[in-house]
Amino acid sequence: MNRERRIEIAEITRVEGHGRVEVIIEGNRIRDVKMAIFEGPRFFEALVEGVRYDIVPDIMRRICGICTASHSLASIRAIEKAFNIIPTKQTELLRDLLIHGEVIESHALHLFMLALPDYLGFPDVIRMARKHPEMVKAALMLKKAGNLVHNIVSGREVHGMNDMIGGFSKVPNEEELLKIRKAMEESKRTAQLAVDLFVRAGTPKFVESENILMALDPGEKFGYIGDYVTISTGDYYPVEEYEKLTNEKSVDYSHARLSTYRGSPFMVGALSRLLLNGKKLSGTARELFKEQKDLLTHRNSLMNNLAQSIEIVHCVERCIEDIDALLSTGLVDEVVEIEPRARRGVGAVEAPRGVLYHDYTFDEDGRVVKANVITPTAQNMANIEKDLRIATQRLINQPDEKIKRVLEQIVRAYDPCISCSVHLMRIKS
Amino acid sequence: MERPKIGVFSLTGCGGDQLMILNLEDVLLDLLSYFDIKDFQEISSFKEDSDLDIAFVEGSVSTKQDLRKLKEIRARCKMLIAIGNCAISGGIQAMKNGQMEILERMKRVYGIEEDIYGVLEPKGLSAYVKVDLEIPGCPIEKEETLRAITSILHGDMPDQFDYPVCVECKLKEYPCVLIEKNLPCLGPIIVAGCGARCPGLGLPCIGCRGPIKEEANAAAELEVLLSKGYDEEHIVNLMRIFCANFGEIKKITEIIRRRSGKGRQE
Ligand code: SF4
Ligand code: SF4
Repeated sequence: MNRERRIEIAEITRVEGHGRVEVIIEGNRIRDVKMAIFEGPRFFEALVEGVRYDIVPDIMRRICGICTASHSLASIRAIEKAFNIIPTKQTELLRDLLIHGEVIESHALHLFMLALPDYLGFPDVIRMARKHPEMVKAALMLKKAGNLVHNIVSGREVHGMNDMIGGFSKVPNEEELLKIRKAMEESKRTAQLAVDLFVRAGTPKFVESENILMALDPGEKFGYIGDYVTISTGDYYPVEEYEKLTNEKSVDYSHARLSTYRGSPFMVGALSRLLLNGKKLSGTARELFKEQKDLLTHRNSLMNNLAQSIEIVHCVERCIEDIDALLSTGLVDEVVEIEPRARRGVGAVEAPRGVLYHDYTFDEDGRVVKANVITPTAQNMANIEKDLRIATQRLINQPDEKIKRVLEQIVRAYDPCISCSVHLMRIKS
Repeated sequence: MERPKIGVFSLTGCGGDQLMILNLEDVLLDLLSYFDIKDFQEISSFKEDSDLDIAFVEGSVSTKQDLRKLKEIRARCKMLIAIGNCAISGGIQAMKNGQMEILERMKRVYGIEEDIYGVLEPKGLSAYVKVDLEIPGCPIEKEETLRAITSILHGDMPDQFDYPVCVECKLKEYPCVLIEKNLPCLGPIIVAGCGARCPGLGLPCIGCRGPIKEEANAAAELEVLLSKGYDEEHIVNLMRIFCANFGEIKKITEIIRRRSGKGRQE
């Protein structure tokens, strides 16, 4: 008789937010794989209904503490598109700087403090620091350099206020930008250290399988802001058509309703960006990407960690490049006229974890009539479950403890941000 | 002395306050080494169900599960510290409290009527349990938090701000954005401690640190902003972003709703 075997991770640790994994096995067959979310919903789309456009980014950036600037920029870009506001070159450079700083902070936190303990065999960074104090201190300085960008460009490390519709309230001065530049110069070595660590840590192959990748097309240069979505299937869509891509569907293997593209799960995040847009990289990041080409396969989602580490190298170099471009022309205060229109706008950015969409419709006074936000973690959820299923199948004869460790490591590799994904997930458990 | 046993927990929020603690990069490892950390799900897989000297709790009570968890935490800790506006007053997700039923919010966002989450109208921790200390902000200020933790390690309770952002703004000699730029600044009714960050950038205070509890005169603030030509609806939305569960502001919303109701009848 087939006995039912249940493997449960009651609470996934070292991730942002609260989630649970449950696998039910019958004999040699997996009956069900669920990643359930039990983070409370906050209903942001309902909160902004009837609210005037100028305080919308202030509300929406609070969806997530870690990718606050990404939410901020997606929100601002959606509003600018609706009102037909074209940002200046200076604003574009400052936004580029801001989002690159955010990726550094977020990836450094994830790689060194949350993911690396898995590879080095520690329950957390605190215990890891006892053995490797220098490495952890260097990682903290890297994270701090990312935060410095938040502080100077957006006004605060979490939920800044300086980035707004049309540009920036107070444009940073030369001295402040040089301070960031210096911190970035000093971070170069640590950034590369992360790549070494993840190459050497080796990456298990228990999730190897086909993955569909999705990322924003950043234009000429590698980056995190764009208006079109590029997909590994060769398809290409304007962000306005995002609903075709994030189409929520019930899938037969889960109780949750998940994002799928033409019925298949897909992956967003660092690995997708590198594999789809890596040819647009420059400098050291380009070299590293070429060197690690064999490891960076679309078939292994755990490689997201290595991809994140290469992205940090890119971000550190790009911050310097952006600052040099800003300083070469000098910084000026800019005033932008804003005229609300009764229209819809969709804004997207690559948040550290993948494509993020904000979609608003306004009335003629600029009040929100309808809002929708699709976060990267929500899009990744179907792919995470697919990987959990594949890994469990391959490890089915192993003891529960081993399987649990692997499953938790898989979830963590996606660097899920459950707090912000929750508002999309519909879970029955 | 034995290291205090602590736990860091989150209910419904954005993770930003825990992150602000982790953002204390220069002192983080030293700081953490003063404590015996028994539970910190965001950064550690280590967990021990022991009694705690101090529990730091971020996020609002927004589900029955949050409430269960909060009660468990309260039962096992000597001192409960609410970190951030969500934990103090329900935070930004309380913005529509009293205006739109929580089940209606769920219906609008998810298109479903069945209460699969066990949702509760978002409230701060003190609506349900005794809270020993509140550290305000959305997010908390890291220096203020560090000072508070240091005081507690020395056996003292930290000082708290009892004057508004407005005072801080004047001390810093920032130009008043309310007077000079006609911006709807909530500085007069919001508790200080951020160094008047927003006015310092030429922006109005939107109230992320919450009201100065006993003293905030929201009605007077409303009159000032009305005289600046802002419409009531916008002012109320603004005040409600972070202070919707605050008595004075609830009252104002009610008055305005009644007034505009009357307006329609006339
Ligand atoms: S108070 Fe602000 S920073 Fe803290 S959890 Fe709530 S939304 Fe996030
Ligand atoms: S000025 Fe107001 S909104 Fe800005 S940080 Fe301070 S309390 Fe928060």
